[in-house]
Amino acid sequence: MSPFVFLILANFVAPENIGTNVKSILWLLPLTVAITAVYKATKMPAITTASFIKEVLILSGSIIVFIIVIALTLFSLAWLITE
Amino acid sequence: MPQQRTEANNVFLLIIVGILAWVVPGAGHYILKEKKRAIIIFITIVLTFVIGLYIGSIGVINPVNAKAWYLAQIMNSPVVAYLGHLTSTEPEKYRVFGRPNEIGQYYTSIAGLLNLLCVVNAVYMAHLRGTIQMPIKQSAKSKTGG
Repeated sequence: MSPFVFLILANFVAPENIGTNVKSILWLLPLTVAITAVYKATKMPAITTASFIKEVLILSGSIIVFIIVIALTLFSLAWLITE
Repeated sequence: MPQQRTEANNVFLLIIVGILAWVVPGAGHYILKEKKRAIIIFITIVLTFVIGLYIGSIGVINPVNAKAWYLAQIMNSPVVAYLGHLTSTEPEKYRVFGRPNEIGQYYTSIAGLLNLLCVVNAVYMAHLRGTIQMPIKQSAKSKTGG
């Protein structure tokens, strides 16, 4: 095997350096797009590139907005209780 | 008798579609001539799984200490069983902790569950096509007096 292949495989035997902080949760945002893409691929009756991209963007955007709304609600609730 | 043979063929097709869809994500849809769906499913699931392995290393596949996660991960493909064998035989070499482990497990497990959704969807599509085609054949036979 060439050194290049070894270099690629080496990326999969050692974990990335991700700290335990709030920003690390942002790694989960691309997962929303993946879930939406597969869901839409199974649900759409006919797939065209433009309509598929549009549907995926709308649904992933809705999920992210909904998550933000829930986070803000919970944060406000926690602030009201503790203050 | 011909109808029984058709039903047997239908069950055989469903099993083949299910197994293919599990072995290679999207392959179930591909043999049903749903090429666009198959390509989207293949790219998305493989990419999600590979990103999970890149973030957390193959140590996130842990059939000994993370059995519940492993159950979801193995839905990706039987290849995961080989990776699980690798990590369980040399656990010290592939040990991973903390946030990379968590995020890697989320990615690989959700990729597996998405593939399970696609397996069910492909089998259901194959089933629908079987049940839709059969009455058409029967009605054609009755028209010709067969």
